[in-house]
Amino acid sequence: MRFSGLLGWMCAAVLSAQPVTFDRIVNSKAEPQNWLTYWGDYGAQRYRDLKQIDTSNVKNLRVEWIFQTGQSGAFETVPLVVDGIMYFTAANGFAYSVDARSGRQLWQFKYPLPEGVKLCCGTVNRGLAILGDRLFMVTPDAHVLALEARTGRLIWNREMASTDQSYGATLAPVVVKDKVIVGVSGGEFGIRGFVDAYDAKSGERAWRFYTVPAKGEPGGETWLADSWKRGGGATWMTGTYDPKLNLLYWGVGNPGPDLFGEVRKGDNLYTAGLVALDADTGKLKWHFQFTPHDTHDWDGCETPMVLDIKWKGRDRKVLAQANRNAFFYLLDRETGEFLMAKSFARQNWATEIDPKGRPVLSRNAEPSPEGNRVCPGLAGAANWMPPSYNPETGWFYFPVREQCDVFFSAPPVYVEGKAYWGSMFRGQTEEKEWGLLKALDPLTGETKWDFRYYKAPWAGTVATSGGLIFSGDEDGYFMAFDAKTGKNLWKINTGNRLVTAPITYTVGGRQYVTMPSGSALLTFALPN
Amino acid sequence: MDKTVRKLLLVFIPAALCAQSSFDQGRALFRSNCAFCHGMTATGGRGPNLVSASLSHGDTDASIKRVIRIGVPGTTMPAFSEFTDEEVGQVIQYLRSLSKSAARKETVPGNAPHGKQVYEEKDCSGCHRIAGQGSIFGPELTRIGGARSIEYLRDSIVKPSADVPEGYEGVTVVLKNGQRIRGLRINEDTFSIQLRDPGQQTRMFQKDELMELTHEKDSMMPAYDRLSAADLQDLVAYLATLRGAVDSSAAIKKARGIK
Repeated sequence: MRFSGLLGWMCAAVLSAQPVTFDRIVNSKAEPQNWLTYWGDYGAQRYRDLKQIDTSNVKNLRVEWIFQTGQSGAFETVPLVVDGIMYFTAANGFAYSVDARSGRQLWQFKYPLPEGVKLCCGTVNRGLAILGDRLFMVTPDAHVLALEARTGRLIWNREMASTDQSYGATLAPVVVKDKVIVGVSGGEFGIRGFVDAYDAKSGERAWRFYTVPAKGEPGGETWLADSWKRGGGATWMTGTYDPKLNLLYWGVGNPGPDLFGEVRKGDNLYTAGLVALDADTGKLKWHFQFTPHDTHDWDGCETPMVLDIKWKGRDRKVLAQANRNAFFYLLDRETGEFLMAKSFARQNWATEIDPKGRPVLSRNAEPSPEGNRVCPGLAGAANWMPPSYNPETGWFYFPVREQCDVFFSAPPVYVEGKAYWGSMFRGQTEEKEWGLLKALDPLTGETKWDFRYYKAPWAGTVATSGGLIFSGDEDGYFMAFDAKTGKNLWKINTGNRLVTAPITYTVGGRQYVTMPSGSALLTFALPN
Repeated sequence: MDKTVRKLLLVFIPAALCAQSSFDQGRALFRSNCAFCHGMTATGGRGPNLVSASLSHGDTDASIKRVIRIGVPGTTMPAFSEFTDEEVGQVIQYLRSLSKSAARKETVPGNAPHGKQVYEEKDCSGCHRIAGQGSIFGPELTRIGGARSIEYLRDSIVKPSADVPEGYEGVTVVLKNGQRIRGLRINEDTFSIQLRDPGQQTRMFQKDELMELTHEKDSMMPAYDRLSAADLQDLVAYLATLRGAVDSSAAIKKARGIK
């Protein structure tokens, strides 16, 4: 025990001398002790070959340390762990570095948000990216920052777009080669969304891809008149990446105004869809639209997971996504070809998805002056909470929200800087919501097991070779499940709703599991 | 460039169109935020009638605005503090358009003093509390006359299962020894449930200790559907007089917002 601890310490000490390179991130699964990107790996499988904590001993898991940020607001960060050091963000522009074994702080950074600045989307933040000795984060007022990893010192600061036009940012950036790739929030405020790439060294913008094409550009014909100018299409969640194809996969948010489609007749490309971009140039390789002409705020921003699977007897490179619209999709990630869609939650808006992947719409599922009850509700049957994949079971593990809303419509007037919903939904209904943790076979879309939560969840999952799935519910329970059976093996009431996904890592040969709750970062381990 | 064009457009939007849009916005705001309690036509339901009954907190624009903005502490009327002045104005305008033709009635038919006798004869205080008197098992009635429409009060007596307010949902649990316990759900999560039993005792369980857990569809209140028409009318008249002060420090559960 002592010996392995010493060995681990030596390994950690040696590794800490190595900067985080693009190659290391590409091969992140080869270093399961670390968590090098928001997703843990470029493909967002969120699987770790760590088995010190397993199905037989997880019942002994206990709190190892707690870091209190004292920050109010949803704590949606996913920490990075690099060779024993943890980096994470909190709401209100904070970033921290701590000893991943003890939770003791190394430094703290606070972004000086300009006074009186109007924020579209609150001050929530989902985390950092790392390359070399630099960390990258976005700010509530839509800036991108580079920080020195050892000190938290600000190196550069670039504005993506103006808060006057209601742009904001909440996501964790992703680094590809020498570029920092980011997206924006503000889809409820009539923005025109984009994905940006910045040179990691200089901070200069390398490319921009608009998710809403202008009149005259390909796709521009899918927008009525000049509605594209405030067409939404926010890019508020981190994309995934395939290093072999050099393609970035980025989810695109709802069209604006959210719930009133009359003023933007057409399919409204590329909103409520997914774009595949060349990571060097930002050029569009292909696109797929899950919900053409969306009127229910069903962003396409859910995790586009990269999987290599045998599909109908053939090795296929696919993307798997549990979409907000209640369908699970498989797409060919080289071409964007639609392979399969299967509903995983109650839905009444589509009678089917046709062989090309286009939904066939039900009647009475549009927002109306009298209100129409639609499942899933505005928040969707899935949302940004990351799923995970266990290669041993071959299953996809994700939280499901069972909740419906009554959607009303009213013609909107666009006023710059103001919400541009174009109607409302009833935030109060007779119907009880509930949730599931679901294990699904991505080859068929069939459920392998469900674990029922009392409320619709907002927490993602992580999978380990210890046969475990960790996740959390809306009541604040952080839990471990048997990946094969769905049996709940361990739980702790953390005292606050869980609104991000857990990670697992090791330091000195000891495995840890970390989950934010409230304003506390909780880290668990087996007793020494 | 974009900005200038948009500003010009806004200036030239005809005034009539703005008025219509404002009415539509008020209607949509009302239907999506208020109708759940006050009814689609604002004639009341779980919440009071806003069209033809007298408004407990005054019917000037300023007093309605105040109620919308800060809610009614101690009741189920939440604060809509995120509404802009313009939006509150639109809701009030829409309410005014609904109540234009309806005269406000100050009186409720029936003999309220006799209704009070009916209340006592039927032992309503065995479950309900008025001004500190009675049981905490069922909903507090101290201010029920100001909080509910007449129709809702009548329905609550004869068909209590038609609408069971949050916090008063009945639950039956069966313990592993076969013991059955019924109660009102105080709280519940994925792994535990907390109840109040008819003896006003708090009962708390882990779900894995239970053999069975049933969420009752029906109200735990018996239906008083055999009251004479006169007794029922008098009882409703009595309940309608109950407009006492409530503990304004009580927490209000706000409707879920947009996520």
